[in-house]
Amino acid sequence: MLTIVSAGLQSTLQGAPRRGARHQGLPWAGPADPLSLALANRLVGLPAAALGVEITLGGFEARFDVDAIFALAGAPCAATLDGSPVRLHRSHRAAAGATLVLPPPETGMRTYLAVEGGMIAAAAFGSASTYLPARIGGLHGRSLQPGDVLKFRARAALLPALESQAALETPAALRLAPQKAAALRATPSAETSRLAPSSREALFASDFRVSRQVDRTGVRLDGVTLELRSDGRMKSAAAFPGLVQCPEDGAPIILGADAQTTGGYPRIASIARCDRHLIGQLRPGATVRLLSRTFEDATAELVEKSTLVRGWIPDFTF
Amino acid sequence: MTLAEASAIAEDAISIRTPSAVAAHALAARLRATGVFDEVTPGLDSVGVLFDPLRLDAGAARRLLADAAQAIETADWPDNEVIELRARYGGDDGPDLDRLAAAANLSPDAFIELHTKRIHRVEMIGFMPGFAYLSGLDPALEAPRLKTPRPRLPAGSIGVSGAFTGLYAIASPGGWPIIGRIDETLFDPDADNPFRLAPGDRVRFLRAPC
Repeated sequence: MLTIVSAGLQSTLQGAPRRGARHQGLPWAGPADPLSLALANRLVGLPAAALGVEITLGGFEARFDVDAIFALAGAPCAATLDGSPVRLHRSHRAAAGATLVLPPPETGMRTYLAVEGGMIAAAAFGSASTYLPARIGGLHGRSLQPGDVLKFRARAALLPALESQAALETPAALRLAPQKAAALRATPSAETSRLAPSSREALFASDFRVSRQVDRTGVRLDGVTLELRSDGRMKSAAAFPGLVQCPEDGAPIILGADAQTTGGYPRIASIARCDRHLIGQLRPGATVRLLSRTFEDATAELVEKSTLVRGWIPDFTF
Repeated sequence: MTLAEASAIAEDAISIRTPSAVAAHALAARLRATGVFDEVTPGLDSVGVLFDPLRLDAGAARRLLADAAQAIETADWPDNEVIELRARYGGDDGPDLDRLAAAANLSPDAFIELHTKRIHRVEMIGFMPGFAYLSGLDPALEAPRLKTPRPRLPAGSIGVSGAFTGLYAIASPGGWPIIGRIDETLFDPDADNPFRLAPGDRVRFLRAPC
């Protein structure tokens, strides 16, 4: 068990997304940065989408009530266990009673904590991931609070190999620390042609800034205002995480893990599938540039990046 | 139904236009039955599908869409039983009623009468869990969205926007002007059937005393 002492800005249990029910209005939820959760899970012998703790901008403190092996990945921060530094991307042992502290990260937005055995939570609509607006999944459908006790599967049920092995470490090629200037590969989308010609150029040639409006639903960009042609309105249509919408005010929104299932704003671009995990690390004030890709390029790069990641996490799917 | 233009939303998603919401739902049901798509989301005049390009080639996905679109006969929604929902209009439950009525040159009572007189149709569920888009709004009641969305609306809020009535199934932010509220639970994750309304359902609002 893990007792939460401080949950910071927002900490939730996240694992496999809630797939296949968007036609009923149910968003996916799941980790905002699925690759970082998978990297943490890999270090404690768990499947890529096993349930872990998503910690937003640090401020997190928790006490292990039993001996446990754990790992951290995602936004880099000066984490400590009973005052001693704890590196990301490496498995660690905690003795019963030890306290883990995560201060705010230097870059990026979310750090993931995986604990051997995996967290236990009730599933709703096929997933235990927390979706806060409908209060489903996770711990009573809400974000974690001080005093909460998280249960994880007992050590005995675990890979005995972890006991004897030296600490595991993420291969250097996969330790992708979020940058203050993010570059995301992106393709056009269904309504790209509704942008005014000059904005179509600006879309892939401008440095956007991440506004303060950042949550699990999406990331609003500012710094560059896009212009829609006068016939910019459309009827509500499918929306997916990774799509870039453009409301009338011209400040684009990159949709995140909790994104609404349909929307009426033109879909002007889509973050390439292989780079969507980076959306969860976009932090207010960071700059974002969209790198123009064709659909064919984006698919080829997905194959390439999947091959790289699956060399370490065989069950990871972008 | 013939294949209208299908356009790529992304390297892993395609949108196909349909003549109506009922056609979108018929096409979506057929596509979902193929079992090859990760998501099949009908809109008001389109269907969006999502797939894993490592498992399904984009060209093959397009062919599946074209085949399914050709096999769909455009029909109308079935004449389901009319579901009656008791609604409290105006006051704290419907903070925008008076303003919308004034803009429509109607008294609040006349506005309510026009909203309760018609039978509405659920054209789609989307946006948030159980959120229902209902057609059948009297054209006199059409209203634009709020310039600034409200940060939080209670579950059951009744909004109007454009030609639609929208029912907020869970508490959420919302940009539709709000004219009232229903008591009935539209989304209950613990129930055997969590969704009170489904696409195609017919709905009549009954004015409840405030």
